[in-house]
Amino acid sequence: MYCSLLLKRARLALASALLLAALPAGAQTTLRIGMTAADIPATTSQPDSGFEGNRFAGLTLFDALTLWDLSSAEKPSVVIPGLAESWAVDAKDKTKWVFKLRKGVKFHDGTAFNADAAIFNFEKVLDKSKPHYDARLVAQTLPRMPTLKGATKVDDYTIIVETSEPDAFLPFNLTNLFMASPAAWAKTRSWTEFAKAPVGSGPWKFVRLVPRERLELEKFTGYWNKNRVPKTDRMVLIPMPEPNTRVAALLSGQVDWIEAPPSDAIPQLRSKGYQITSNPYPHTWPWQLNVAPGSPFADKRVRQALQLAVDREGLRRLLGFNAIAAKGVVFENHPWFGKPKFEVKYDPVTARKLLAEAGYGPGKRLKMKVQISASGSGQMQPIAMNEYIQQQLKEIGVDVEFDVIVWETLFNNWRLGAKDPAARGADAINVSFAWQDPFFGFARFYDSRMVAPRSVNWGWIQDAEMDKLVAKARGSFDAKARDIALSKVHERAVEESYFLFWVHDVGPRALSPKVKGFVQAKNWFQDFSTVSMQ
Amino acid sequence: MSMPSPATSELDLRGAAPAPVFDPATALVAQATRGYWRTVLARILRDKVTVACALLLLAIVLLAVFAPLLALADPFKGSILRRLLPIGSEGFLLGTDELGRDMLTRLIYGGRLSLVMGITPVINALLIGAFLGVVGGFMGGKINTLIMRTIDVFYAFPSVLLAVAISGALGAGIFNAMVALTVVFIPPVARVAESVTTQVMSLDFVEAARASGASSFTIIRVHILGNVLGPVFIYATSLISVSMILASGLSFLGLGTKPPEPEWGLMLNTLRTAIYLNPGVAALPGAMIFMVSICFNMMSDGLRAAMDVTQ
Amino acid sequence: MFYYLLKRLALVIPIALSVTIVCFSLVYIAPGDPLSAILPSDASIELIDKLKKDYGLDKPIPVQYAIWLGRAVQGDLGTSIATGRPVNAELGRAIFNTLILALFGSLIGFSLGLAFGTIAGYRQGTWIDKSVTALAVAGVSVPHYWLGMVMVIVFSVYFNMLPAMGAGPGGDWIWDAEHLKYVVLPAITISVIPTAIVTRTVRALVADILGREFVIALRAKGLTDRGVFWHVVKNAAPTSLAVMGVQLGYLMGGSILVETVFSWPGSGFLLNTAIFQRDIPLLQGTILALALFFVSLNLIVDLVQTALDPRIRRA
Repeated sequence: MYCSLLLKRARLALASALLLAALPAGAQTTLRIGMTAADIPATTSQPDSGFEGNRFAGLTLFDALTLWDLSSAEKPSVVIPGLAESWAVDAKDKTKWVFKLRKGVKFHDGTAFNADAAIFNFEKVLDKSKPHYDARLVAQTLPRMPTLKGATKVDDYTIIVETSEPDAFLPFNLTNLFMASPAAWAKTRSWTEFAKAPVGSGPWKFVRLVPRERLELEKFTGYWNKNRVPKTDRMVLIPMPEPNTRVAALLSGQVDWIEAPPSDAIPQLRSKGYQITSNPYPHTWPWQLNVAPGSPFADKRVRQALQLAVDREGLRRLLGFNAIAAKGVVFENHPWFGKPKFEVKYDPVTARKLLAEAGYGPGKRLKMKVQISASGSGQMQPIAMNEYIQQQLKEIGVDVEFDVIVWETLFNNWRLGAKDPAARGADAINVSFAWQDPFFGFARFYDSRMVAPRSVNWGWIQDAEMDKLVAKARGSFDAKARDIALSKVHERAVEESYFLFWVHDVGPRALSPKVKGFVQAKNWFQDFSTVSMQ
Repeated sequence: MSMPSPATSELDLRGAAPAPVFDPATALVAQATRGYWRTVLARILRDKVTVACALLLLAIVLLAVFAPLLALADPFKGSILRRLLPIGSEGFLLGTDELGRDMLTRLIYGGRLSLVMGITPVINALLIGAFLGVVGGFMGGKINTLIMRTIDVFYAFPSVLLAVAISGALGAGIFNAMVALTVVFIPPVARVAESVTTQVMSLDFVEAARASGASSFTIIRVHILGNVLGPVFIYATSLISVSMILASGLSFLGLGTKPPEPEWGLMLNTLRTAIYLNPGVAALPGAMIFMVSICFNMMSDGLRAAMDVTQ
Repeated sequence: MFYYLLKRLALVIPIALSVTIVCFSLVYIAPGDPLSAILPSDASIELIDKLKKDYGLDKPIPVQYAIWLGRAVQGDLGTSIATGRPVNAELGRAIFNTLILALFGSLIGFSLGLAFGTIAGYRQGTWIDKSVTALAVAGVSVPHYWLGMVMVIVFSVYFNMLPAMGAGPGGDWIWDAEHLKYVVLPAITISVIPTAIVTRTVRALVADILGREFVIALRAKGLTDRGVFWHVVKNAAPTSLAVMGVQLGYLMGGSILVETVFSWPGSGFLLNTAIFQRDIPLLQGTILALALFFVSLNLIVDLVQTALDPRIRRA
């Protein structure tokens, strides 16, 4: 009894001594972030809440075989080695990839990352016969890697990953498959239990989770990439779905950093010395048109007329200039942009002319219905923005009616497609999307096989030429050739104007003056390791 | 006397004051009605606060109804260049909204939908609830038990919870929001109607009418409706402000109106983020709801006082 | 009294049962997919069907209801689809937080309401009475979530006196000054309505009692003010208590808007999340718990009132 007490005391003394040694300045530094999610994203190793979930509960706690390069604010973000040091497709059989795994990587619980651990994480979403296979994880993962079929171990640090068809997009897709510690799962053999104390190999270690209130992380000093060991001791993530609540929490000092401050609050935040960071990232806010035969939008001239009818400068002004005018799915200087023959711009004269050619005019106004949401994760300001577009289209003779539905339902309708009764005869749908990787940016929208129920080719685009271009890109395993093939897809997407491209998001963030060293990459994900607090 | 009713569940509806209780002493034999209503009107006209509130409401209603005839700006058209101008700007007396539309115009037009959303559910609930209550009270026995026990089930939900749950289930939209609010208001109205009907039924002159062979229809029309409608109507008027606030609350949660139609609750919602840039303008729709709601409550109180014969 | 008690209790059971039916069916009226909570934007319909099977959502609705009710009776409300956590645990936390808020809200509301109402009742017709009445009308007329937003701007943003959101700096409620700061703004916001309603009720009661013949007679006989006050309290208590009881129920079930404005992690906030995520087990569980709470509260109020005031015993 006495002995154990003594031991406890000694341990305590040692712990505090270590703590003091580790902290030259004395106090622990904590970075508190207000997220836009309504809840803590799932910490099961495959987060929900979309890419925001991956940003905060994925890439912080976990690593994937491939990672995004988040180190630069200027260059477009590319895929770099993560827990895999290198990979290559089998020259003879293009459905097989060899991944060489990184050696010496440890999970937070001290167990080693190796081929068995990697295979375990493939099985959790692919192999029904395994106890660690879980439907919730599947739902969060497989839609992002539709061709992934399986993985097998070659040796302790080599695995083979298999796809159902040759798919050059695989390395992009695998950024979404996070590697959890098999040993930690084995303790309770339940992902729900695992989520209460998740163990990965990411730069941040789990400390505490209060459902719907906060997720606390601390730096993982044993992180394999020494340049990415966090410069802050702790990070606290707090869900704050209400934009005004986020601003008020920042202004009253409850958090140091908020995601997506409303644009109308930015001038005040700036005047009080808060830093506003922003950078275009792969997030576009469009209308997706129904182009099925019989729809007025089956006519390319009508689509192009709408494309030319909106002054995107006005939209930018509405958003306090926290957006850039969209000229396509991707930014103008992006390698996938190409040289479309049709320029997306504001030209109401041509717009009216095109509409007249298509048979519409003052006597016959074009009527259309658009399904939109009132608000939703990452949806900017849908009501004000849609109303603005409605006003602009009215000028060229297009009457827009809105069907406002709850965001989650809209999301669901997106999958069901324009022919489903849920669309209620809508001619367009307004869902902002990520185009970080080629599957997300192009294949799921323009491939004719991706109509409901397979993916989100909502408007029933059945374009044989487009199918060929997508297939070519998917089969281009050389990075340069792939980018060129994708630019051809993009050129056609712009020329055909299947989507009305309104603006690209710039992901504004507001940071307290105490926050230093943040580099906002042109990506959905951000590196919190470089951030320090003063 | 005007002791509040012991059955106090109605109060949950923020129903301003306890539900009116039928007092046998003031029950009307059919003939007396006309003189009574004249007295009530005279009393209301003497009550300055009630008259002022009524006039203000009348002005808002008239403005809303005749809005297209007034020389106002286009409520749907704005210019992004002049968005969120402050109150008192030149040409825009109450400033502009987030899309640069004239706030004064939008507030006037907004009255249309807001008032409709506030009043329609109450009228619906008044008709349905009074019907259920009177039928229950008149028929008595098993039918009454069936009606009232069903209504008890809806009583098990606090009003806000019920409104949010129903419109959440039905999905966003004006129509669904009004359906939800109607469902919320039927039970209390039916309860008031039922309790008053039951009491009237036990009165001597109804017994007398029955004994003299009057038909059920005549009894209901002459005796019961004459006595029941008053208290039920007063009660219903006190629900209008509740209805407006709940409706705007639903819009606030994203379960209400659809744009670009101006409606105060929705305007409050979309102008919320402007509170940092232009708090005055952002506060206007909420202030409108507040003001109209006060007027309805004051009027309801005035009406109640005027109809209370014992005072 | 005993028979009355039994009768009231017997009445509660069918109501509670019907409440479960309403709770259960409410969410099935809803359009949209119950699984959208956990499905990413582009999950295929095939995948959705598979998941439906996994969650037992492919069975006929009456069967689902029977299974759900069977578990609910044993106190198990199932597992949240969105988070995978047991609904019981989520609810327990949230209801505790809402209770804290309701406690402070009713503390403010009831004490202010009793004080204002009594003063106004004693001073009927004076300017004090008129201003109290006006204040009470304002209290029931103000959109309280709007008031909450305005208060955040004033007290959190401009004066930086009180936190703008949340239930405390750490996540778990502790009885200390730091946590009390967090409860101030939401409690004031939520207390506006009970303050107004209690004020109006008490004012009407006090005025009525003071005007009654027996009080006037007692006064004429030389009863002291304190003695009169005792009569007022005795006569006003049953109704006032009943009103306050119901208001407490309102605070529990009606806090959804205020909790949303302040991100207060209570049952209303939980319900809001559940609605928008279409998290059916959570939605059903939350509505059920709140409704049953409300039913029992009404029952208690009724019984207490009957015990206090024999005149209205209706057995």
